[in-house]
Amino acid sequence: MSDKNKVILEEYENKFSYKKSKTNLNIEFNRIAFIFFVFLIISAIYSIQLLHLGSLKIQNETKPLVTKKNYRADIVDRNGNYLVKTVSSIDIGINPAEVINKKKLLINLQLIFPNKNYKEISKKLEKNKYFYFKKKIIADDYEKIMMLGDKSVKSEEKLTRIYPQKNLFSHIIGQIDDENNGISGLEKSFDEKLKQIKEPLQLTVDTDIQFLIREELIKFHSIFRSKGSAVILMNVNNGEIISMVSYPDFDLNKRETVNDVNFINRATKGVYELGSVFKTFTVAAGLEEGLIETDTEFLNLKKKLKCGKNVISEYDKKIPSDLTVEQILIRSGNIGSVRIGQKLEIEKLKLFLEKIGVLKKIDFDIEEVGQPIPFKWGKCKLATVSFGHGITTTPLQLAKGYAIIANGGFEIKPSLIKKTLKDNQNKKRIIKKSVSKKINKILRKIVTTKEGTAEFANIKGYEVGGKTGTAEKAAVGGYTGKAKVNTFVSIFPTSKPKYVMLVLLDEPKTSEDYIYKYKNKNGSYKGTPFNTAGWTSVEVAGKIIQKIGPILATKYIEN
Amino acid sequence: MKKVVFAIIFSLILATSLVKNSTKEIEDKIFMVNENIRPLKSELGDVLLEYNYLSSPDKLTQYQTQYFEKNLIKIDIMKIKKITEKNNHIIVSDFIEKIKDE
Repeated sequence: MSDKNKVILEEYENKFSYKKSKTNLNIEFNRIAFIFFVFLIISAIYSIQLLHLGSLKIQNETKPLVTKKNYRADIVDRNGNYLVKTVSSIDIGINPAEVINKKKLLINLQLIFPNKNYKEISKKLEKNKYFYFKKKIIADDYEKIMMLGDKSVKSEEKLTRIYPQKNLFSHIIGQIDDENNGISGLEKSFDEKLKQIKEPLQLTVDTDIQFLIREELIKFHSIFRSKGSAVILMNVNNGEIISMVSYPDFDLNKRETVNDVNFINRATKGVYELGSVFKTFTVAAGLEEGLIETDTEFLNLKKKLKCGKNVISEYDKKIPSDLTVEQILIRSGNIGSVRIGQKLEIEKLKLFLEKIGVLKKIDFDIEEVGQPIPFKWGKCKLATVSFGHGITTTPLQLAKGYAIIANGGFEIKPSLIKKTLKDNQNKKRIIKKSVSKKINKILRKIVTTKEGTAEFANIKGYEVGGKTGTAEKAAVGGYTGKAKVNTFVSIFPTSKPKYVMLVLLDEPKTSEDYIYKYKNKNGSYKGTPFNTAGWTSVEVAGKIIQKIGPILATKYIEN
Repeated sequence: MKKVVFAIIFSLILATSLVKNSTKEIEDKIFMVNENIRPLKSELGDVLLEYNYLSSPDKLTQYQTQYFEKNLIKIDIMKIKKITEKNNHIIVSDFIEKIKDE
C-alpha cells in the first residue's frame, strides 16, 4: 500500500467527525416531531371530517326531503286533530295471460268473495287484458287471496286519504286524484310539500268552531232558503283563519267529481258586489287623509243624486239631511258616503282600497281565489264605489280589509297554515292607529244604537261591532232587484279587537215564521220584514257568536 | 419532554378511540330506538285517527241525541266565573268584566 493512499484515508477519517456532534439526538427529535406532525395531520383531517359531517347533518335537516312516490303527509287542525290521514291500501288485479286454470281460479275467488259478479269477471278473463279485481281490500281477504298462490293475482299498494271530519273542511282541503296528485284546495297548492314533509301539515283552523259555524249555516240555510252561504272567522292580529265555511259543501270521502257551480268556495272564489260594507273603507280613507273627522258635518244632503244614467238614492227614507261622518256610517247613508268619496277624489280612495288589498287578486294558500272585476274609474264610478256599488271583491279580501282597520292599521296576510311566532312578527303599519280607533268605535255604535243596522248581533259580553251590506245581484244590463247578497262583517271585542267574522248569504229570502229576539230592547218579532243584511246575516252572526264565543274567550285566552 | 409528548399523543389516541366507540354505541342505540318508534308512531296515528273520528263534534252530537234525554245548552259567557288565588285565598270573579255602557 503506498503512502499516498494512507494519507487520503486518514484525512477522510478526520473529516467525518459526526460522532462528536449531537446528531443522534437530532435524529430522534426529528422523528418525534415527524410522528407528532403525522398525528396532527390525522387529527386535523379527522376533525375536519367531523366538522364537515356535522355541517352536512344541519344541511340535511334544512334540505327538503326527496319526493316519495307513495307518500303524502297528513293534515291536522290547530289542536293536532286529524283532518286528513293517509293510510295505505291494497288493490288486487288479475293478469289473464298468466292464468293457468280459469275455472279453478273463479271457484276459489267465489269462495272468498261470494258477492261479486262472476259473469263479468269471466268475460274480463277472456279479454286477456289486466284488470282490477278488488280495490282497497281488507287484511283478512288479502291473506286469503294470496294463499291461493296463483301467479295471475297481483297486489298493488295504493295510498288512500281518509277524512274523519267528512264535509267540514271540503273546500279548504280539496281532493287528490288516483295518482296521488292534488287537484284542488290545499291538496293542490301544497302538493309537493305534502309529498316531502315528514311531519303533518298543521292548519290554523279549529274543528270544533268550524263545526258550530257550519251547523248554524245549515240551520239558517233552510230558514232563509239561500242559494249558498259563507263564513270567515279570522284573527285580526296575525291573519290566522280559525274557520272558513262555504255552504253547500261535499263529503271528501265519497271522492265525487264536483262540477256544480253552486259548490264553489264562496269565501275565496266568489266575487261579489258587497254594498254598504264598503262605506267603512270610504270613511276610513277620509280619516286617513285628514279630510274629515268623525264629527265633520255634511249639510243639506239630497235624497237622490243622478250620475249619468244612474240614480243614487237613500235606502232609508227617514234619514236626516244633515249628518255627521259618524252618523253617515251608522245609518248607512248612501248620499253622505258619495259626498265623502267626492271629497277624497279618485286617487286617494283608489290608493286606500289598494292598500288594504280589495282591488286585486289576493295571494292565498289555496288556488281557488276569485279575481275582483277590473273597472275604469270616473266621476260616476267614484260615487258608486263610495257606497259599495260598481266594485267587486271576494269575502276573504273584505275580511282582510276589516281586519287591517280593526287591528290598529297593521298589514296582515290571511293564512290557513299555522306559522311560528317568528313569522308573525315584523308588522308593517299601513293605516294610522287613530283611524282604527275611530272606526272601531263607530262599528260598535252600529250594533248598539237604535239608528244602527246590526242590533241582532249585540250579544252581551263580546262587544261586537260591525257593518252591514245589502247588495242587489248584478245581471246583464243592470240589477236583478230580487236576488241579493247580504253581508255582515263583525269585529269583536271592539275595545281590543281579536276577531273579524264575515257572514255572507247568497240570495236569501225572507222567512215568515222565524222569530227574532230584540237585543237592545225587550220583545220579539215574527217574520222577516225586509230582505236586508240587518234582518238576515246579522241574525246569523249573532247566533254564531253566541255559540262560539265561550270557546273563543276561554280556549284562546291571552295571558 | 419526550415522555410528555408521547403521553399526550397516547392519551389523545385513547380518548379519540373511546369517544368514537361510545359514539358508535349511542348511534346504534338511537337507530334501535328509532326503529322501535316507527311502528309505535304508525299505531299511535291509527289510534288518534279513531279517537278523532269518534270524538268529532259530529259524532258527539249524534251520541248526545242517541243516549241522553237532555239537550245541549249554550253557555252564557256572563255566567262564566274565573278562579284566582291571591295570598292563599281563592277569589271567584266574573270572567267578562261588565262594561259600563252596557
